[in-house]
Amino acid sequence: MSVVRQRGRESAGYVFDCAVAGAGLMGCGTALHLARAGMRVAVLDRGAICREASGVNAGTLTMQMTRAALMPYALRAHEMWMRLPEWCDGGDVLAESRPGLSVAFTAHEAAMLEERARIRSKAGAPVELVSAGRAMEIEPGLTDRVLLASHCPVDGFASAYLTGRAFRPALLNAGVALFEGRAVRGVVRDAHGFTLETAAGPLRARRLVLAGGAWLEEMVGWLGVRLPIRTLINQLIVTERMRPVMHTVLGVASGLLSLKQFANGTVLIGGGWQGIGDRSRGALAVRAENLQGNVRLAAHAIPALRDARVVRAWLGVDAETADGLPAIGPVPGVPDAWMIGAVRSGYACGPYMGKLLAQAVLGDQPELPLFPVDRLLAREVA
Amino acid sequence: MDARHAAAILARVNGSLRIAGIARPAEVEFSFEGRVLRAPVGESLATALLASGVLRLGEGPGAPRALLCMMGTCQQCLVRVDGRLAQACLTPVRAGLLVQAA
Amino acid sequence: MTVAYDVAVLGAGPAGMAAATEAARRGARTVLLEENPQAGGQVYRAPPPGFFAPPDAERRAGDALRAALATSGAEIRTGHRVWGLGGGPLVPAGDPPAPFRIDALPSEGAPVTLEARALVLCAGTHERVIPFPGWTLPGVIGLAAATILLKAQGVLPGRRVVVAGAGPLLYAVAAKLVKGGAEVAAVADLAGRSEWARALPALAARPDLLARGAAWRAALASRSVPVLASHRVVAAEGGQVLERVRIAPLGGGDGEAFDCDALCIGHGLVPATEATRVFRAAHRYDRASGGWVPVLDADRRTSVPLLYVAGDAGGVRGAAAAPASGRLAALAALADLGVIGGKAHARARWRPWIEHWRAARSGGAMARMMAMRPALVSAIPAETVVCRCEGVTRAEIEAALDDGAADMNQLKQFTRCGMGPCQGRVCGEAAAELVAARVGGREHAGFATGRLPLRPLPMEALLGAFDYADIPVPAPSPV
Repeated sequence: MSVVRQRGRESAGYVFDCAVAGAGLMGCGTALHLARAGMRVAVLDRGAICREASGVNAGTLTMQMTRAALMPYALRAHEMWMRLPEWCDGGDVLAESRPGLSVAFTAHEAAMLEERARIRSKAGAPVELVSAGRAMEIEPGLTDRVLLASHCPVDGFASAYLTGRAFRPALLNAGVALFEGRAVRGVVRDAHGFTLETAAGPLRARRLVLAGGAWLEEMVGWLGVRLPIRTLINQLIVTERMRPVMHTVLGVASGLLSLKQFANGTVLIGGGWQGIGDRSRGALAVRAENLQGNVRLAAHAIPALRDARVVRAWLGVDAETADGLPAIGPVPGVPDAWMIGAVRSGYACGPYMGKLLAQAVLGDQPELPLFPVDRLLAREVA
Repeated sequence: MDARHAAAILARVNGSLRIAGIARPAEVEFSFEGRVLRAPVGESLATALLASGVLRLGEGPGAPRALLCMMGTCQQCLVRVDGRLAQACLTPVRAGLLVQAA
Repeated sequence: MTVAYDVAVLGAGPAGMAAATEAARRGARTVLLEENPQAGGQVYRAPPPGFFAPPDAERRAGDALRAALATSGAEIRTGHRVWGLGGGPLVPAGDPPAPFRIDALPSEGAPVTLEARALVLCAGTHERVIPFPGWTLPGVIGLAAATILLKAQGVLPGRRVVVAGAGPLLYAVAAKLVKGGAEVAAVADLAGRSEWARALPALAARPDLLARGAAWRAALASRSVPVLASHRVVAAEGGQVLERVRIAPLGGGDGEAFDCDALCIGHGLVPATEATRVFRAAHRYDRASGGWVPVLDADRRTSVPLLYVAGDAGGVRGAAAAPASGRLAALAALADLGVIGGKAHARARWRPWIEHWRAARSGGAMARMMAMRPALVSAIPAETVVCRCEGVTRAEIEAALDDGAADMNQLKQFTRCGMGPCQGRVCGEAAAELVAARVGGREHAGFATGRLPLRPLPMEALLGAFDYADIPVPAPSPV
């Protein structure tokens, strides 16, 4: 059997300082900060580390698709991504800072762009409106059919599929007990804190962090809290390696295109077009008409893409609360239990959100406000 | 030794990899990296290049471009045909094809 | 524009041709889709138009299948590359199963989408070549690849050729090379005499196959071609292209060098499971059948309703077993669709069932000789490239495994192995064995998730002609 999968000795009575259910970016980030602060932390996932949304998203690190409220968080997270190897024991997702453009092709989109740029700029993002001519100077590969663009000089991207490999050694070095392939089926509150029921036996912890992404609804349900989470099945497309055709991070005013070319020449196309699937069956199948729509938008923006071949299309499961803002903070009515997730463009903000929640779990005042879910609740009657 | 085998040996001695005793359509001209080559129309481009002594089709990211599976699965025989990326083993030779390394 | 059928058959090899013929003859609206310009698959691959060689027994068998197909009433769409599959169970939760959806790219004209109530997958196999030093040198081609070159294109891979690997293809290729006028410098057979002896009883029912094998061996003996049993290729060497091959006994040693300008090497055939994986059908690992295969009942039904697999894609059993397999699948589809009744099905199926059982015995024995040989993977040196598309070496794969990658999907994420245009077809077997060695077997290593497109898809074909206003942009999210 592979030797690296499980670390840490655990007798039947051992009680971790904190158990984190979910080994995605949010869970790993929280766990890393807690462990470095001296806590004995266990991270559990039914699958492999960062195998869900965290490992299959478009890797866009942009200010231009983020909710205005998340802007301060995204700015700080951007810095953390660019310096990942420094604070993550050499872990590297090949993060690069690049200029970002969000473009408008119609008058309606131009109006949307102006509005959004104004809101984002007010929230602190370094975003400016530029003319079509200026946009084409910044991105020579851009179509001349663009009307207007908003420009952020410090957007960027990373290779999301490297995220798991980037965090794993840092977690293990910090003494985190990482249990991949160990599904948590339920949680019971008891004298010690919490007992997590898993197929490989119970695991006890004084504190609990629920970081299950789209499955957060089921998780908080274990503790009697009803928090509806909407599941999104995002489609992504990648080409084979091609000659350089673009160098910015590109989007459209509506937010429905994300486009970038990596150093190896592959071009990644996304934008939240929906495929077929759900939380219980997982991400199941690509919708061919949405594949076509997404690719048409991309080729409209960067005409040189017409020369490419599509090599792979895949799906990721994303999550959203009723008001579109994150679910980060205490589990209402349950001391020592926390949740983190449903961030929507959570990859960009991820490292900073984990750091913030860890501050709260450690009993400190987080640097920036969390997003407690009391605002969204329908508490189950006991 | 039968006549067919003798013809094959003769063909080999004369330098052709094309097996004798097979009827083929007329040859046409095409070019690879500026070199003018000839092959029967309809022969696969992969075969035509091989028969013309071209084994190394270009440089790929992880290995040289070359023939491997001959059936369109391995993606190792990629070339540019009239500017478009194509698999040589799936491309029939036509007169005037402009082929370049991919 | 969608066109509807009762039965769609994917792949026009012997299994697909027979399946489409059977379904159409019994009154089902049938379409057969094939990537190549003509039906035939690999074994019965037709030469290009205008090429003509005196037909042999194999050509005549292929022609017979093509002739039956032509008069069956099935719609034959050759030159169609299927890139997308959907429908069936791939529907939103709570929706009933949908008809199968097939997206295909014709060699001429606009992309098409077809719908069918039942789908018979006859995608065959692709060749397995386990990496060794110098395997990426131009001049190294597969054994099945050599067969295509010799039979369908009528061209020799080189003037002085080394042939290596396992299974009957080895001798078929070597004999064909000799017949075509090439010099065969050596034949290196991974199997020893005892392995061939063990396979003989299963071949007893096929004196024709035994006679053919004997003829191949005789052809080689008459030219004094060295046939080295229990030998492997240690390395291919050369500067820009292949110049020589080093062959050694399995026991060890640096071996002997043979100058050559072509190496035909193959380590078996792997069932093509891309389509069944896309539909999330149940699979099992069966080394003797070529590796991962869909779970099938006696009538070729998969775990997905109205989805069937026939021929080698369901497990390597050879060309002789394929037509019977195709007919069984077609009959099951027609019965499940209600085109034929239960009694008619029961009456019709016993003949192909017996035919398949007979042919599969010898076919299975040959398949076993072509099964994955883990020792070949263990022997891969650290610096040898395993994933040619992305340049991933064995050392990089081992490092990823050291870092905790524990299955094929995770290995892909850690190393990019399998993310290139071949979509894991060339590197997949070797990579999976390396993972399996760490995690306790191929079942634990698993396979990469099935994805579209089934082959790299030119963007132009997907785009079609459109205006910006045509793009059905979904509602944007709020700021």
